[in-house]
Amino acid sequence: MIKKDLGIDFLGVHFENPFCLSSSPVGNCYEMCAKAFDEGWGGVVFKTIGPEHFKVDEVSPRFDELTKEGTPFVGFKNMEQIAEHSLQENLDDLAHLKRDYPTKIVIASIMGTNEEDWVELAKLVTDAGADMIEMNLSCPQMTSHEMGSDVGTNPELVKKYCEAVKRGSDLPMMAKMTPNITDMVPAAKAAMAGGADGIATINTVKSISNLDLDKKVALPIVNGKSSISGFSGKAVKPIALRFIQQLRVAAGLEQLPISGIGGIETWEDAVEFILLGSTTLQVTTAVMQYGYRIVEDMKNGLMHYMDEQGVDHLSDLVGLANKNILPAEDLDRDYKVYPKIDWDKCIGCGRCFVSCFDGAHQAITWDEKTRRPSVDYSKCVGCQLCNLVCPVGAISTGKIEMKPGREGKIEDVDIESVRLTH
Amino acid sequence: MTNNYTHEKSGYTMTTVAEEAARCLLCHDAPCSKACPANTDPAKFIRSVRFRNIKGAADTIRTNNALGAICARVCPTEKYCELACSRSGIDTPIDIGGIQRYVTDFEQQAKMDILEKGPANGLKIAIVGSGPAGLQSATTLLEKGYAVDIFEKNTKPGGYLTYGIPEYRLPQDIVDYEIKRITNLGANLHLNTAIGEDITMDQLKADYDSVILAVGASEAKMLPMFDGNAYTESAVDFLARVKDAQGQISDVPENAVVIGGGDVAMDVATTLKRLGTKNVTDMAYEEFDEFRASKKELAGTREAGVTLVDGYVPTAIDGNEVTFKHRNIDAEMTIKADKIILAIGQQVNTDKLGITTEHGEVSFIGYRTDDPKVYVTGDIAHGDKTVVWAVRKGKEVAEEIDNALMGGNRK
Ligand SMILES: Cc1cc2nc3c(=O)[nH]c(=O)nc-3n(C[C@H](O)[C@H](O)[C@H](O)COP(=O)(O)OP(=O)(O)OC[C@H]3O[C@@H](n4cnc5c(N)ncnc54)[C@H](O)[C@@H]3O)c2cc1C
Ligand SMILES: Cc1cc2nc3c(=O)[nH]c(=O)nc-3n(C[C@H](O)[C@H](O)[C@H](O)COP(=O)(O)O)c2cc1C
Ligand code: SF4
Ligand code: SF4
Ligand code: SF4
Repeated sequence: MIKKDLGIDFLGVHFENPFCLSSSPVGNCYEMCAKAFDEGWGGVVFKTIGPEHFKVDEVSPRFDELTKEGTPFVGFKNMEQIAEHSLQENLDDLAHLKRDYPTKIVIASIMGTNEEDWVELAKLVTDAGADMIEMNLSCPQMTSHEMGSDVGTNPELVKKYCEAVKRGSDLPMMAKMTPNITDMVPAAKAAMAGGADGIATINTVKSISNLDLDKKVALPIVNGKSSISGFSGKAVKPIALRFIQQLRVAAGLEQLPISGIGGIETWEDAVEFILLGSTTLQVTTAVMQYGYRIVEDMKNGLMHYMDEQGVDHLSDLVGLANKNILPAEDLDRDYKVYPKIDWDKCIGCGRCFVSCFDGAHQAITWDEKTRRPSVDYSKCVGCQLCNLVCPVGAISTGKIEMKPGREGKIEDVDIESVRLTH
Repeated sequence: MTNNYTHEKSGYTMTTVAEEAARCLLCHDAPCSKACPANTDPAKFIRSVRFRNIKGAADTIRTNNALGAICARVCPTEKYCELACSRSGIDTPIDIGGIQRYVTDFEQQAKMDILEKGPANGLKIAIVGSGPAGLQSATTLLEKGYAVDIFEKNTKPGGYLTYGIPEYRLPQDIVDYEIKRITNLGANLHLNTAIGEDITMDQLKADYDSVILAVGASEAKMLPMFDGNAYTESAVDFLARVKDAQGQISDVPENAVVIGGGDVAMDVATTLKRLGTKNVTDMAYEEFDEFRASKKELAGTREAGVTLVDGYVPTAIDGNEVTFKHRNIDAEMTIKADKIILAIGQQVNTDKLGITTEHGEVSFIGYRTDDPKVYVTGDIAHGDKTVVWAVRKGKEVAEEIDNALMGGNRK
């Protein structure tokens, strides 16, 4: 049986494994976090705690899902705000958790409306025994514009509130950033300038997931109306990965400590976040859909991956992919790679033909008698759309050719690396 | 579509296994896992497949079931895991055996080495019989740190895995690979060694801390009427001969009659068809509504083109002519065949092993015999007579021995 140490240090705190619940209903109370710890999570970011004076008042219903061709939960929309429990209950739960699970990491997520709130909340959670603080600067559906992503998109406010938290506590602190921004770098730099020790990202993406076509209103419907609100789950993973990459390559942020969030549900997702520079990982939507138990396969799969890679310390994997993601203008544009069709595997469905004709360059010819496709090299541009749509994997990357008049040798193209899917 | 004796139907691909796993409802307190006799934990390994952790799925199967790749192919899943599957409330159960096969095939291709031997505790156990029950008890005992010797009277190990279940359902390569894992773990196999003949029970008891009898029901039952009939062969002799020759036998009959209505009869009838016998008639004692053969096997037999006749018993034999009478109605039938195969059950032979059995099993529930050093497991112990039950009984007998020998010394 595979056994690998998944331990990792983040902001000076040791995590027995990088998997944490992200701040949300999945870590709403003592019993939930205790069960998550028992099932193997390394840490929890407790549901965001607000100041006493901010009254949380939630809508019902509050969720919607995006589906595609029978697959549920491709993405998930929520209209929830911050913790509904009283401040004192939340502080008691943090203390209780830390007492019962001294080796697990308890992170307090906090959100204030002004500097005093932030200082005060930071103090309170520190006294309660939290190991770390996460500043929620990113909830996109707060009923107050002094809170949430409206703050997170304003670097000045971000800096000011980070400083406030640092005045209230000397715990390691990460600022949780919103993706509802064109460039996250200024906000992240402001947070670091304000004393943050690292960044957590992403929070949810502002969205409208579906509409009720008869009632002509977005979902979920709250007494006939709806709102724009946060989107999460698998569909946001590409957005999260993009922001994390951009942070890690920004001048001055190269070693930025990151807790990666957004659509993680398998060990492969986890590895992607790590390779792009995340040290710890946070999950909500997959837990809401499947339960805490998903951590078992994330941990076990990650161990097998480390074993395959010959890596003994998880930290050795952090950020390994950053250097391989370049601006579009820096990519090699001198060659193209044609598709290769394996007629033995082909079952004659014609999907490659349809997609190439209707969505690419009419470079696949179709033999009506034999129901077999072939590539017309005079037209093929090597986009590999056909490869992606083939249901049986009969199309792979084949012959590589230098474009006419280009310098360079085919031998220098790393053929092994020309790969599309998992 | 090839339909010969050595051709196993193909399994899932990475894409199709993901599609099948996506049908799984990921149940809470999963009924499939509770219904697996060997605790292979299908809900857990299917979830691993679902979350793209195939190696983790293999970890789960292998640590729970040393014969996971075999069970994947031969379990009568419609009686066990798949019977319990919640997906039946929507349409059809998850193909648990098929997913288990994909995972264990992957495990083999990836050359994964999952089983681990426990730190040696200085105790030695002898196992008589290398069928599934003997193999699983050996594995569990090795994991717990015992030294294990397996004695097998035949020239090849595996019991009915090797000498019974036909190649198209269970390729011998798979059986050999599973056994190799167990010998690699440290089991010493002594082939061509019949206990009671080559070595006595007393000798074994003197040399080992415990002895496990896992001898199965390795002999055919016959009907006196057929004694000395030159056209008649027992089902297990026939299946063993065909498997050993990988289907290359020289006396494939033109037409044959098989007598019996269980899975073994179905295997014989289908094997004959796959070998090229034109007319195969299976005469079953039971009527269809009381049939013992599993639905899967029965369907396979029908698909192979076997003529199935239910409710008849043989009443007379004259050379290659057998006469049957219906049990309940006034009907008689005479069939002439080049070959008559009797598949009316198997029996246990424990003459020189110091235990007695009745109707194929010991008279007590559990594994410990009157002799505190001697245990039974597998088909001769109480419980279902299937491979997955042999695995369960193998694990349980090992636990019981460990409790008896090491009881106080483990936490
Ligand atoms: C044709 C056929 C098809 C079957 N198909 C299926 C199926 O699809 N699915 C399923 O779950 N089950 C099936 N079964 C049943 C299954 O094979 C048995 O339940 C299982 O093999 C029992 O395991 P065992 O270890 O108790 O005994 P066996 O497999 O019978 O093994 C006993 C071993 O002990 C050896 N032995 C006996 N006496 C001695 C001695 N004195 N000294 C040394 N060695 C000895 C024998 O040679 C044999 O190798 C089938 C059985 C048959 C005959
Ligand atoms: C129902 C729900 C409630 C959430 N509440 C909070 C919250 O209180 N504080 C916070 O920082 N993020 C909150 N989030 C955002 C998540 O922590 C996380 O950043 C986001 O969902 C992306 O990760 P995921 O795809 O794994 O869900 C919430 C998300 C959901 C779905
Ligand atoms: S999509 Fe794949 S299977 Fe379908 S015709 Fe093209 S190559 Fe063949
Ligand atoms: S071992 Fe057999 S009964 Fe158990 S889960 Fe696997 S196929 Fe089902
Ligand atoms: S009972 Fe069926 S649907 Fe439920 S977990 Fe098991 S295989 Fe999946």
